[in-house]
Amino acid sequence: MAVPGPRLRVAAALSVLLLAGAQALAPSHRLTARDLARLRAALERPFADVQAAFYSIVGLGSLGVRVADEKAACNFIKSHVDSSSVDSLFYAAQSIQALSGCEVTISNETRELLLAAVSEDSSITQIFHAVGALSGFGLPLASQEALSALTARLSKEENVLATIQALETASYLSQQADLSGIVEEIEDLVARLDDLGGVYLQFEEGIETTALFVAAAYKLSDHVGTEPAMKEDQIIQLMNAIFSKKNFETLSEAFSVACAAGSLSRNRYHLPVIVVPDGPAAVSHHQPVLRLQVTNVMSQPLTQASVKLDYAKSASSKATVLQQTAFTLSGDVFELNFMNVKPASGYYDFSISVDGDKRFIANKVELKVKVSTEVGITNVDLSTVDKDQSIAPKTTRVAYPAKAKGLFTADSHQNFALSFQLIDVNSGAELIPHQTFVRLHNQKTGQEVVFVAEPDSKNVYKFELDTSERKTEFDSASGTYTLYLIIGDATLENPILWNVADVVITFPEEDAPSTVQSKDLFVPKPEIQHLFREPEKRPPTVVSNTFTALILSPLLLLLILWIKIGANISNFSFAPSTIVFHMGHAAMLGLMYVYWTQLNMFQTLKYLAILGGITFLAGNRMLAQKAVKRTH
Amino acid sequence: MSGAAGSGAGSAGSVGSVVRRFLVEYGSGTPSRLKVLDAYLLYVLLTGALQFGYCLGVGTFPFNSFLSGFISAVGSFILGVCLRIQINPQNKGEFQGISPERAFADFLFANTILHLVVINFVG
Repeated sequence: MAVPGPRLRVAAALSVLLLAGAQALAPSHRLTARDLARLRAALERPFADVQAAFYSIVGLGSLGVRVADEKAACNFIKSHVDSSSVDSLFYAAQSIQALSGCEVTISNETRELLLAAVSEDSSITQIFHAVGALSGFGLPLASQEALSALTARLSKEENVLATIQALETASYLSQQADLSGIVEEIEDLVARLDDLGGVYLQFEEGIETTALFVAAAYKLSDHVGTEPAMKEDQIIQLMNAIFSKKNFETLSEAFSVACAAGSLSRNRYHLPVIVVPDGPAAVSHHQPVLRLQVTNVMSQPLTQASVKLDYAKSASSKATVLQQTAFTLSGDVFELNFMNVKPASGYYDFSISVDGDKRFIANKVELKVKVSTEVGITNVDLSTVDKDQSIAPKTTRVAYPAKAKGLFTADSHQNFALSFQLIDVNSGAELIPHQTFVRLHNQKTGQEVVFVAEPDSKNVYKFELDTSERKTEFDSASGTYTLYLIIGDATLENPILWNVADVVITFPEEDAPSTVQSKDLFVPKPEIQHLFREPEKRPPTVVSNTFTALILSPLLLLLILWIKIGANISNFSFAPSTIVFHMGHAAMLGLMYVYWTQLNMFQTLKYLAILGGITFLAGNRMLAQKAVKRTH
Repeated sequence: MSGAAGSGAGSAGSVGSVVRRFLVEYGSGTPSRLKVLDAYLLYVLLTGALQFGYCLGVGTFPFNSFLSGFISAVGSFILGVCLRIQINPQNKGEFQGISPERAFADFLFANTILHLVVINFVG
């Protein structure tokens, strides 16, 4: 049995944490009744082969369900078992053990085969299946030999699945053997789990492997008599991960989840407790009893437990209204009549603990409970108050749900005032709900304006309508308005919409608009036409063509003048440099034209450099010759 | 060459006689090389003036074309004037190191650069 010391210390540490206000991890997933039905349906498929039969029979057994037709199952296994395969024999042996009244005889050859498989040369899966088959058939087995083979193989096969299978194998071996080495593997495997967001804990190989690990760990721990080295938070995280899977693609997946569920609800050390409210967590005068379902992971009610309310505090004021009260068991649910302490309406934090079995974990739960009530409106006074204070205010009292008779006026001389009180109908205490609105609805135009009524220091709600102050909200639209009072809150069972009275509001004439435009935001707006850039005004083509011709006329004048002056080219010498110079110069002028039509600056500069270089050299030569000729 | 005629009355006649005297002196006293250059300058002037008048008439669109054409005219005129100053034999004293050929080469070079920019800008 577990040593009480560490458990007590763990429990003490946990309670200190709770008192300090820290939230212990709460299970977020479990197998509800619907999940169980789905799991059962997944397992209750017709058998395809011996392995499928094993998954179905043993899986259903873990859930506490017997196979529908045990005789047919037995016959199926006997006819489909393959005596030459260790795996097939394992599935057959374990299935037969789960069925009642199923006997099979094993030949010597089969026994030899199984015993031979238990050796260092076989894989761990082989050893596991052989040991399991021998154990299932009730055949003698050399535990020490098996253990040494297992330990030797474990050092070679380090993957998670092999280690899990080693745990399962060890649970078939005799307790005389020293299984502590295998038991230590549980701790190593726990270290290899991945923490996902602090809520889930699973192997990277998947949910199936995680579930198989949980089942194997508890099976071995129960067999050996040592508490598994898993902390409470880790167990809850494993639970969350395993039971988050609601749909099972393969039979082996369903089998693994079923085994995990079975082992978490029926082992010697840890029993996770699930506490959920039966229906919404709300009480009121009509429904004064808070009902809780306290179950294990398979939604089986733990009727042996004792459920106690540690404390119930108001969420807003943190005052404790109730403590150390026990829940009473009624059928499958635990009940507590919370309205006995006459709590004020609002939200309450409940701290509930489930005791009765040392194995319970996650047995301290925090719950938020809503207490609803009904509101009543009293002391409703409607009055018209004269602005000059010369006439005493006329007050009319109205009772809910009647409507005040007569019209009230609010104009430039008089203000309209409304005051009321809100009380809890059941307790008589004053209430401050979240929504206390005064709605004025114009009967003719459909306009409505909503104001908030504020409570004063004595919790009396007041609302005053001054026409000069409020004319912007009303758009200065005078007329008869219906006054409604709207009261609402999450903790009220009877929200109120009450037509209190009709008020005639008159605004000063100079501000009255001719029509009230409804601010309809959702009509299409006027279309915007894009203004394309207007092209510049250009003169007609005739004009520009004329000008082009005109601009050439000075050139004509130039030629005439030159001829008149007598410019001659008689001194033109046909020396090579002269020709090259003139050609180069002409080419440069041509380049200018090409630049205008086609090229960019870089290309032009390139060509210009070449042409200019040639022209310069030739020109230099030519001009030098000319200079020489001149001086001579 | 001092067309004095300064009767001061500013009558059209005296202005006219000054102009006539100037033309006679110009015709006889100016070497033909310079006259050729002057004809060129007149041509450039007229071209620039015509461009400007057209722009005034029909508007400045496209402005870049007008600017490049006008600046081409103005720039060419200025360079022509520079050339005339430099090759005028009466100014020989001030341009000792610069022969007329050199002046002409400078004129060509400067014109090349001017027209490179003008063509770039004309669009």
